[in-house]
Amino acid sequence: MLIADALSFHYSRAEPGQTLDFCFDMQLAPGECLAVDGPSGAGKSTLLNLIAGFLTPATGQLSWKGEDITRLKPWQRGVTTVFQDHNLFDHLPVWANIGLGMAADLRLTAEHRRRIAEGLEQVGMAEMTERLPGELSGGQRQRVALVRALLRDTPLLLLDEPFTGLDRANRETLWTQVESLKRREVAVLLVSHDVEDVEALADRRLRLVNGRLLSSVQ
Amino acid sequence: MRPVTECHHQPWWRRAEANRLILPAALVAVLLVAAVGLGSLGALLMQAPNMDVSRLWQEPWLSAILRFTLLQASLSTLLSLGGGVLVAVVLARRPVFPGRSLLLRVMEMSLVIPSLLALFGLVAVHGRQGWAASLLDYLPPGGTSSPAYLYGLSGIVLAHVFFNLPLSARVMLQALEQAPSAHWRLVAQLGLSRGSVWRTLEWPQIRPLLPRLAALVFTLCFTSFAIVMTLGGGPGSSTLEVALYQALKYDYDLALAALLAMTQLLICLGLWALAMKAGSHAPLVVAGGTVAGPVSRRDAHGWRRLSDAVVVLGLVGLLLPPLLAIVVAGLGGVPDLLGDGGIWLAALRSLAMASGAGLGAVMLALLLLAGSSHLRQHGRGLLASLIEGSGQLILVLPALVLGTGLFMLLRPGLGSDLQGYALVVLVNALMALPFAMQVLRAAVTGLSGAQRRLADQLAVHGWSRLRWLIWPNLRRPLALAMAYGMTLSLGDFSVIALFGSPSAPTLPMLLYQQLGSYRWQSAAATALLLLVLVVLVFAVLSALTRKLPRYVWRPGSVDTTGLTSGGETATAPATREEEP
Repeated sequence: MLIADALSFHYSRAEPGQTLDFCFDMQLAPGECLAVDGPSGAGKSTLLNLIAGFLTPATGQLSWKGEDITRLKPWQRGVTTVFQDHNLFDHLPVWANIGLGMAADLRLTAEHRRRIAEGLEQVGMAEMTERLPGELSGGQRQRVALVRALLRDTPLLLLDEPFTGLDRANRETLWTQVESLKRREVAVLLVSHDVEDVEALADRRLRLVNGRLLSSVQ
Repeated sequence: MRPVTECHHQPWWRRAEANRLILPAALVAVLLVAAVGLGSLGALLMQAPNMDVSRLWQEPWLSAILRFTLLQASLSTLLSLGGGVLVAVVLARRPVFPGRSLLLRVMEMSLVIPSLLALFGLVAVHGRQGWAASLLDYLPPGGTSSPAYLYGLSGIVLAHVFFNLPLSARVMLQALEQAPSAHWRLVAQLGLSRGSVWRTLEWPQIRPLLPRLAALVFTLCFTSFAIVMTLGGGPGSSTLEVALYQALKYDYDLALAALLAMTQLLICLGLWALAMKAGSHAPLVVAGGTVAGPVSRRDAHGWRRLSDAVVVLGLVGLLLPPLLAIVVAGLGGVPDLLGDGGIWLAALRSLAMASGAGLGAVMLALLLLAGSSHLRQHGRGLLASLIEGSGQLILVLPALVLGTGLFMLLRPGLGSDLQGYALVVLVNALMALPFAMQVLRAAVTGLSGAQRRLADQLAVHGWSRLRWLIWPNLRRPLALAMAYGMTLSLGDFSVIALFGSPSAPTLPMLLYQQLGSYRWQSAAATALLLLVLVVLVFAVLSALTRKLPRYVWRPGSVDTTGLTSGGETATAPATREEEP
């Protein structure tokens, strides 16, 4: 279980309309998908960045299965984030972008390569292993990012508006991938404005208002 | 499924801990630059306890030199920047015409063309016996005999404009090309007039560059040595840098040398301080990049074609004849070239020293930039700026001061020619450092915030981050920085003039000796060889890094993996490294 206990963060400067102080309390079980929405500047990205370790909280605690992970570095947390864009390195082909998630030094074994090929086949991109991100559509890039998330095998998946701008067919393919991760006990935190995405994937919903997680809808 | 904390058990060089080496390494680089820069200045000041500032206004010849230095540098800067704006705007408006790419390459080279070499070409075209003089003979009424405009103020300014107008124009063109292509398309769609395009798009792109570009051009002209040595003469057309050389080389008046060096330093530093306050951080060297496809603009049609053609032809007329003169004269001297072993030895000496200087400049630039980028990421902006500023300090420190100061510092230990040449390599590396830093800045700080977060999450650190994420984007700027370092050193005449041995000359020294002894044919051959070497260094380094690395996929059924990068094949082990 991922538990955020009074996890707080303070920005010294903010854009007009943005919140300065945040305090989050939430729980997320393995195999569960929790959707979070809220207006711009309410703190959705701040929440994801705190869980991913890109930001350090001022106070509070973040724990996973009883282990305190509040001070762990991003690479020590077992978290994979799929952002809205910029998920891939532009100069590396599809297979290397995925491979980086399996072996940071890209010394891939035959087994790694077999799994990469298999993952790409599952999302209908078997012939695109050597393409550069610039040669892919937005939906294909997101599929590559999700294949990497799938193969990274981390217990937490953070999705930051990952389906924005994709057509229905692409989104359905990606929903299937996320569902398969849930079945493998991956805890998924989904930030999305889209009702269809939320209804397709979320088990629970929370709303962020003024830096606080407010309501919970089963 | 991996446990949460598994990923951080990696060898130290693959982890973020490798980053901890960056700061000490950068500190060593800062100390080296500061020790050499400030140390050499300090050594000169220590040797001149009787420095009398009032000499600057009490001795008429000194105040004349100061006035002339300021006048020629200001005039050169104004003309270079003014002409540069005109050329840049025209070239941006004309993205396609025959020879444009070649013209751009020549403009890019203007920063590194050895000044003696350019002087050779300028004399061949604009000198008393030059091509232009022959043309003037045909002008009515009755022609103009022996034009002397190449000597004195006009000649010095002409030579400075020859170097700095193309440089300014190319840097401004780069800024114009970096405007979003959608803006250019919008300009075309709205059918804006030339004035409107200038106000809405061109001027806002160029304006932020101007303060630092003006400071750079002014500094280059203010501290110019070989040009003033050759085309100037007497207090009426001499500069502080030449007076400094004379004080050191002939009069051994260290007090005067220190006074001149400090005056030069303070003026340049003051100017740079003002420029840094007013300008942006856009690069002042051409770091590559491409333009969006040509856009048909309303202000590029009709009579405007003629005015644009005049500007382009003017630029061609300024640049190409001196370069052509070098080639034409040099071809006549090729038989001399083939039979003269000395010239090849000089070429080898020059290349060896240039390689050392280029490598030194690149290494120092990398260390300083990596340190400053690391500090900036950790919210230490002021310290980061100080580290970067230390690399730029060399730009305002006269090369002669650097060399002389070092000579004084190391004098007890300096004996052989070899040590003198090592000193030249070090000073050349430091002189190229500001330009190398300009080229490398964007690539070293390379990963964007989003990419850095992604790399952090994927645990791509240390060597892996460098190998897979930073190197592919760094290799081309690295080659360009190396080319700048090498070619600036290849053309150096000011430092080598102090420490070089006449019996073991570099190519510029040899050229100077040949010109001094009126061996015109041999000098032409040497000039041609120097030009070829400068062009070759750029061409070879550019060709080596032109192709992006290609990473080839090998299917999972094979036991070994072949990652092909830039033509090299690396074989990875069949089994993955053991997971902790």
